[in-house]
Parts: sequence; C-alpha cells; structure tokens
Amino acid sequence: MFSDFAALIVLLPVIAFVLTLFLGKKLPHGGAYLPIAAIAGSFIISLGIFLQIYPEGIVQQSIPWFAGMNLGILIDPLAVVMLMMVSFVSMLIHIYAVGYMSHDPARPRYFAETSLFTAAMLSVVLSDNILQFFISWELVGLCSFLLIGFWYHKPSAAAAAKKAFLVTRVGDVLFLAGIVLLYVNMSDIITSRAFSLAPGNFILQFKSMFDAIPLIDKTQLTYITLLFFGGAVGKSGQFPLHGWLPDAMEGPTTVSALIHAATMVTAGVYLVARTFPMFVAAPDSLLVVAYVGGFTALFAATMGLVMNDIKRVLAYSTVSQLGYMMLALGTAGAVVGAKAVGISMFHLISHAFFKALLFLCAGSVIHAVGTNDIREMGGLFGKMKITATTMMIAALALAGIGIPFINIGTAGFFSKDAIIEGAFEYGEKTGDLIPYGFAVIAALLTSIYIFRLWFMAFTGTPRSERHSHESPGVMTGPLMILAVFALFFGFSQTGFYHYLETNFELMGVSIAAHEGEAVPPPIIVVLLPVIVGVLGFLISYAIYHKRMLDMSKLISSQNPLYKLLLNRYYEPKIGADLIGVKLTHNVVAQSGEFVDRKIIDGLVIDNIISNTLFQLGEVVRKLQTGVVQNYASVTLLGIGLLLVLLRIKFGGT
Amino acid sequence: MAALISLMIAIPLIGAFIAFLTRTREQARSIALLTSGISLVISLILFSRFDSSISTIQFGESYPWIASLGVSLKFGLDGIGMPLVLLSNLVIPLTVLFAWGETKEANKFYGLILLELVGVLGVFTSLDFFVFYIFWEIVLIPMYFLISIWGGPRKDYSAIKFFIYTHVASLVMLLAIFSLYWNTYQITNTFNFDMFTLLKNYSLIESSIFKDAIFLALLFGFLVKMPAVPFHTWLPDAHVEAPTAGSVILAALLLKMGGYGLFRVILPILPYSGSPGKLISLMAIIGVLSILYGTFLALAQRDLKKMVAYSSISHMGYVTLGAAALVPLSVSGAMYQQFSHGLITAVLFMSCGVIQHSAGTRIIHDLGGIAKHMPKLAFLMLAGFLASLGLPGMSGFIAEFLILVNSYFTLPTFVILALFGIVFTAGYHLWAMQRAVFGTYNEKLGHIHDGADYEVLSMAIFILLIIFFGLNPNPVLNMMTTNAEQLLKFVVLRGVIT
Repeated sequence: MFSDFAALIVLLPVIAFVLTLFLGKKLPHGGAYLPIAAIAGSFIISLGIFLQIYPEGIVQQSIPWFAGMNLGILIDPLAVVMLMMVSFVSMLIHIYAVGYMSHDPARPRYFAETSLFTAAMLSVVLSDNILQFFISWELVGLCSFLLIGFWYHKPSAAAAAKKAFLVTRVGDVLFLAGIVLLYVNMSDIITSRAFSLAPGNFILQFKSMFDAIPLIDKTQLTYITLLFFGGAVGKSGQFPLHGWLPDAMEGPTTVSALIHAATMVTAGVYLVARTFPMFVAAPDSLLVVAYVGGFTALFAATMGLVMNDIKRVLAYSTVSQLGYMMLALGTAGAVVGAKAVGISMFHLISHAFFKALLFLCAGSVIHAVGTNDIREMGGLFGKMKITATTMMIAALALAGIGIPFINIGTAGFFSKDAIIEGAFEYGEKTGDLIPYGFAVIAALLTSIYIFRLWFMAFTGTPRSERHSHESPGVMTGPLMILAVFALFFGFSQTGFYHYLETNFELMGVSIAAHEGEAVPPPIIVVLLPVIVGVLGFLISYAIYHKRMLDMSKLISSQNPLYKLLLNRYYEPKIGADLIGVKLTHNVVAQSGEFVDRKIIDGLVIDNIISNTLFQLGEVVRKLQTGVVQNYASVTLLGIGLLLVLLRIKFGGT
Repeated sequence: MAALISLMIAIPLIGAFIAFLTRTREQARSIALLTSGISLVISLILFSRFDSSISTIQFGESYPWIASLGVSLKFGLDGIGMPLVLLSNLVIPLTVLFAWGETKEANKFYGLILLELVGVLGVFTSLDFFVFYIFWEIVLIPMYFLISIWGGPRKDYSAIKFFIYTHVASLVMLLAIFSLYWNTYQITNTFNFDMFTLLKNYSLIESSIFKDAIFLALLFGFLVKMPAVPFHTWLPDAHVEAPTAGSVILAALLLKMGGYGLFRVILPILPYSGSPGKLISLMAIIGVLSILYGTFLALAQRDLKKMVAYSSISHMGYVTLGAAALVPLSVSGAMYQQFSHGLITAVLFMSCGVIQHSAGTRIIHDLGGIAKHMPKLAFLMLAGFLASLGLPGMSGFIAEFLILVNSYFTLPTFVILALFGIVFTAGYHLWAMQRAVFGTYNEKLGHIHDGADYEVLSMAIFILLIIFFGLNPNPVLNMMTTNAEQLLKFVVLRGVIT
C-alpha cells in the first residue's frame, strides 16, 4: 500500500538533494533528472495515498523523538491535496528549469537546493505535530535564503536573501513563542489531570492539541493562535511583514515560481488551516486573520499597479492573493466553520497553478528579451505565441473571469469568487462589510494590474531591438500543462469542498456548526466579482493597448500618490534603514559597545579596580623580598589566618 | 577494566611531555593526534558503557593522596560530566588536525594543547574538591602561554588580562571551597575534601548570610569563567589575540567549566542557601542579560572573531537561564547547550582562523565576496553560522528549544525577553555572511586561497556532529535528563519552586 511509503514523500527529494549536491557536476544537465525523478516519485506516492484513502481515510504514523516529543506523519484530506499540488507543481517547475537554467554553471547547486526546498515543504505538509512542522518550516526558510541568494556574488541578491530570512524570522519567533505557550498550557492541564494524552499520542501532536482545546483557557488560546498567525504573517508575506517577498525576486525566476506557488508562502496559510480548530475556538484571532488578510489583499494590489518589473508585479499579486486566502479563513471561518478551510485551500491550489504559470511565462519572456522591465517589452505576441496565450489564460484565472450562473470559467473564477461571496455572507451576519469591501476593490485592482502587464509585454510596438524567440519545448511544455489546470481546475470545486469539509472530524475533532441555513447571496453579489474583473480588463485595454488615456500626468514624480506606491509605502526605508540599521545597529548595539569598552572595562576595571590594586601593590612592593619560600609561607599564613577568622566569625563552636 | 578515567587523563599527559621533547613538528603533531585520539577512544568506550538511566557516579576510582588533609584522587562520571568528557575528547583531536600546519615552536604548541585536554578532563571527572581546583587552575597555564606565544599584536595585554581575571575568580571560589571544607571539619571532625560530602554539609551551615556568601563566591567563580555579563570583558580580548587553536579550546571547552560548575556545585546547594528566591532571580537576570547584551554587542563588532566571541557570551547566557529555571528539561537543555555550543563555536572560530590566514584580515568591511575563492570555507562557515543562529536540524536548536519552552514554566518574563534576542542573533550572523562572504569579491584582497584540506576536514567533521546531534539528541540528552531530574528532586522537596 502507498501509505507504507509515506515517509519517502519527503525522503526521496532529500536523497536527491545529497546526490545532486555531490555528484551533479558529473551528470548531464547538472543532475537535474535526480530531483525531477525524486519529486515525481513523491507525487506518485501522494497520488497513490489519495486514491487509497479517498473519501475519508487518514494516514497516521509516529515514532518517539526526544523529551516526550515525536516525529510523525499525518495525511488527511487537507494534507493530501497539498502534497499532490506541491509535488506536481514543483515537478513541472523543475522540468522547466532544465531549460531555463541551462547556461548556469552552478546548476548542480541549484537543483540540489530546489530539491531540498521541495522536501522541506512536503515535510511541513505531512507533519503530525507542531514541532516538526516548525522545524520543516524553518528549513523552508533556509532554502529560500539559499535560493534567493543563489547568485550570491550579486550584492542585491545577498541583501535580498538576508532580508527574506530576517523578516520571516520575526514571524518565526512569534510562531516559536506560540509553541512555547501551547506547550506550557498543555503541560499544565496534563499535570493537573484535567487532560490526559491518548495512548500513543504525544504532547505537541495536532491531534492532542485539538483534543485539549476545550480545556485551555480562552485568553491563552487567543494568544497562542495570534502568535501562530504571526508566524503565518511572516511566511505568507502579510502586512506588515510583506516586504521580503517582492525583494525575493533576486533569485532565478524558477525559484520565484517555487516560492510563490508550490513552496514557502503557502506554508503560512497552511499553518492557519492546519490549526484551524484552534482558531475557530478563538474568534478574536479569527477576526484579526480576516482583517490582516483583507487589508493585505488590497494594500498589495495597489502597489502591483505601478511596478515596472514584471516579477515584482507578480510578487505583489502573490501577497494580495495570499491575503484573500487569509481573508477566507477569517471571514468564512466565522460563518461556516471548518468549511472555510476548503474555500481557502481551493484558492491556494488554484492560485498555485496560475501563479506558477504566470512566473514561468514571465521567465520565458525574460529569457527571450533579457530584461525584467515591462516598459522595455512590447509586441511580443507574434514572436511568443505559446507564452503569450498561456499567460493570458493565467491572467484570466487571476482576474477570476468566468460566466456566472452557468458556472463556466477559469480556476480563479471559482476559487476567488467563493471567497468574496464568503466575505459578503460574513458581512451580512455580523454587519461588518469592511472585509468584503477590501476584497471587491482588490479584485478590481488585480484585474487592472495583470492586464496592464500583459498588454505592455505582448502588444504594441516592440521597444527593444533584441531578437526575441519562443522558448524551447522543455519550457513551453510545463506552461501548457499548467494552463490546462488554470483553465479547468475550477470545475472540481464542489467535490473539493466536500472532500475537505470533514477533514477535522476524521481526527475526531468536532467544530461547532453554525446556526442557520445557507441563504443564496443576492444576484449582484454573485455578479460583482466578475463585473469588476471585466471592468479591470477594459480599463487596462483602454489605457495600455488602445492608449486612449494619457497616463504621463499620473505617472510622474510630482504625483504624491504615485510616489508613495512606487516607493512601496516607504516600507524598505522604515524596515531596513530605520529599524534595521539606525535603531538596532547605530543606537542599541553601539551604545552597548560604549558600555562595554568605556564603562565596564574603562571605568570599573581599569580605573577603579586596577588603580586600587596598583596602589596596594606599591605598598606591598616595599615588603617583598624576592624569596620564593617567603611567598609560600605568606600564602599559607594567609589561608590559615582566613580559616581562623572564618571560624571565629561563623563557626559557632 | 577499572581505572579507565585515570588512563584517559594520563595518556595525554604523557603525550604532552613526549611532545615537548620532540624535535620536529611532524613528530610533535603525530604524538598529539595519537594520544588525544587514544583518549577519545577511551571516552567512547566509557560512553558506550554508560548507563543513562541512573544518576549515580559510574566508573568511580579513588586513590589516597594527602591523607592528612583528607585529599584523595577521586574520579567518576555521571550524566553531567560524561557528555563534556566526550566533547573534550572530540574537540582536542579535531583542533590538532585543524592546526596540522603549525610551524612556530610546534613541540610546545602541541604539548600545551594536550595539557589543556588533561586539565579539562580532570575538571569534568574529579570528585575531590581539592583535586578539582588543581585541575581548574592547570587549565589556565597552557592557555596563558598559547595566547602569549602564538597570539596577535596585543597578546601580552590579553594574556595577562585573561590570567588575572580568571585567576581572581578562581581564588574567590577557593575561599568558598575552604569554607565548605572547614564546615565539614566542624561537623564530622575529620578532614575531607570529597565534593559530595562538602556540598551535602552545606545545608548544615547555620548562618544564612554565610551560606549566601559561600554561594555567591562559588557562583562568581563559575560566572566569570562562562563568562556572564558583566564579568565577560576578558573574553573578547583573549579571543582577538589568541591563535585559532587557542580560541577553539577556550570557547569550546574552557567556558564549559563555568557551566559545569553550575550543575555540579551550584544547583545542589541552591535549595539550601539562605535566600534561594533572590539567588534564582539573580541567575535568571544574569542569564538573560548575557543573552541580549552578547547579541547586541555582537551586532556592533567590525572584527569577525570578536563578533563570534560575543556570540559565545550570548549562547552561554542560555545555560545560565536554563539552569536558573530549575525545571528538569530546562536544566538538561542547558547541559545540552553546553555540549552543542562546544561543537558549533569550534567551527566559527576555525572559520575566522582560515579567513585571517588567507585574506590577512578579519575586519568584516575589508572582506567581501570571499566565497568566490573560498567555496569550501564559505560552505562550512555558512553551516556553522546557521547552527549558531539556532537553525532546526542542528544541535543548537534542540538546546535552545528545550530551554525556552521549559524555562517558561518558572521564568516566563525572562523567556519572553530572550525570545527578542533570536531575531537579532539571526541578524548579526547573516549580516556578517552577507558582507564578508557573499557579494562582489573585494579585489584589494588579491589572490586568496581556500582552507587547507586538514582544516576543511576538521570543520566538516564538526558540522556532521552538529547535524547528528541536532537530529538525534537522545544519546547525550537522556543521561543529562536523568541527572537533571535527580538534581531537582531536592529543589522541589525544599519548596523553592512548586
């Protein structure tokens, strides 16, 4: 049975990592076939397990580790759909990279690191306990650090890698603090005998955590979930820890595709989904998730409007779409409980297909024209028909274009519109329509920026002299496969929701169902997402294709709004310069150095203690005779005297 | 097979004398590698025979020495000492391997390194306070010479500062040992330096002020050695001037003596001290202060080696914090941190040494892009730095995770403060890597070469050990936990913590 080989899902790419690292130089294509084969193996096992456990089985395996904690595997519906997506998309990106990286001399290192990256992400997904989850999560962070800084000789790449690691590290520390708090609370209820671990269960296992929810103090639970969410904010680039993601473009484009689609950023959303029963039990946290997600969706979309680097537009798009996924968990979670996980995960997976496609198309374009700047592209449609077409499909999916009522449309049409409708439902129930507002406006902006990108790159007159050509088959092949999924994945919506709905019940965790029957939303609510999507398309068509509006007035350094957006709300200045360099390094660290050198060493040691001893030494010097025996006798005398004194003072007898 | 411990100590001692007498460096280094290697084999035999489930002394040996003063040569191992004996025997042969190319007065150089092994093994195995103190002092002398003969430009200042600082601390500790000795004499009317007897009788001292004074004197002796803020300023100076092998031994082994003292001496008497609550708070404050202060000072450094030196202060702060928390797993986490830090810091100081040797400078701003010409060094150094910043999968994470999680039970505020340090710890490590190793190659450095094969091999073995103990902590963690639980039984009984 496939479940017997579940550990191989992670181990195969780990083995490929080691082999490629050390043997890659001697193999064709830098050893690329090793990780491709390994990840294909992971995919096949994942698929096999899915077929084996569908519709309501789960796989659990566990071995004890250290200090009462364990290593283990938990494959439930939530995990298995993630496993299939991660391994499948990662495999396609690896195949594409054979072409994309064909000229890079450091290919073995590239393929080794991407293989480890995939392994770490797969390990996040199938962890059965929060410690192993955290460890894998950190290894994902490590690999992103290595891959963003892949061209480490470029100072900007080295800086971006560091920024990615440090900004996500802020989230990681919050996550770790959440684990600390959880562990302490779990221990307390175990010690007080209010709760006992089921036989064969361990303290930080998800199952034990969920079982303990009713016994953990509600305030503590809110803290724990908020701290977990802090980790997710870092990893998934949510406001205010979003800044590293657009800078992470310094790595190869295939790395961006991996980070944005299959690995890394989705881990944050997955963390909230994985621990969702805890969030449902802490409504305040859920509210924070909804607002941070909704705000990020809008906030990032505004910056996507003005970026000129093709990969940066896509990066802000990812930040924005991750915001939608969080929004789904927060709003739908408050209304329909565990079903929210299905809604959010459905968008996560559909996004993985079309965002991987967008990045790989962007890579194909960059490969052809040799620049990232969309102002220097243009007129590429005739030369790159496959890339242009598949990218249009991805753009339509991102914008959520489809036909309501008869339910025909792109993957994004199904997945994103469900989130927006969920936000409306939440607004209706609670009277709080702000998250819904965020979602609708962001949808309009999304459509504008993605079609702006497409029109600027593929239509109009060529703005570059360079001879551009379509990419080779090893690159266009994955594009077409992904395009198929971006077009048709949406039709699995009903089945998908149904499959994930019972996810937590399979573990024996019941999430309180909410009262009331689902009322179909008003027609306008169903239509609105598509309307704004089409509207965005038309706006971009008018401005960037037909040139009906002169944008030069708006796009000028005189326009404060444009300046604000182009400077990314001054986030790099506030984050890196002000907090990173000025406050931490110049103020805190330098004053520490002052204390160390001038006060502890200078004042206390050198002046007070040394000088006193020196004066004393002058006195003693006059008594010294230079004969060793005298020193020895004085030492002994001193010790004897001391012992006598001690006896007199404290001895008692 | 009795007397394994004394054999383990005697062989490097004999090796040291032979090394001093050799005429060529080839002979000296072969003797050093051979004898420290034999010592390692003996420690591995001890380790494999060690029973992790009991907390009492194993492999005990006792020989009469100065009967009139109650001094005897007593050695033995428990879960506190065994891992550090193993660590010492791993670090010294690998340091000899790393320093395979030493040319200056090689016979003395390798002989002194072997003497260091003798000293630390004696400290970690002695069960007689008098003998313990002798070994404690023996350790200082070779280190003084390693700094003052093979050191950098300000070696005399640093060597003297190191010696005076730690020697004064030792003397204060000696006073406390004498007081304990006197106390036992009063009770039993016999002279006895047996460590456990002396510590056991501590509880019978009547004056609580006197109890606290002894406690503080001992604590002072250990904290200076670790070193803990504010008694740390000797450390950066010593490291900056010390040769690489000296720095490795200093950071990986000598600092561990301070932490060892906390577990061997301080924790057993803590519940019986005059005001345990205040003393616990004092230790916790010093621990967290060391973590944060060490981190921020590391951020301020321009010299790579000085930065690494401050990182040691920060990491050793975790040991103090975990010990002060008095929870079995926080204490075993603190013990694990000692073991782990010994492995990790060796790689860091070796990296500094290779860079200094090749590029002629350790100033971070003067380096840049050296990965281009030193790919092996860059790889191993990155692995070491990641271990040092607490990356999971490596030994440091296990230790820090155990300390942070379990200290929260008794010292929540301090844990929250320590957590703040984690981001900045990552910050200075990555900043240094970015500036010194990555980026554009600084052409002013001229042509630089990668580390020698023996240097790379030594560092690679350390990295493998770090990963091994990061994935599989149980072989050493279990024995630590057994002893930590035993230590804390008395704490709970006394009601210091509930």
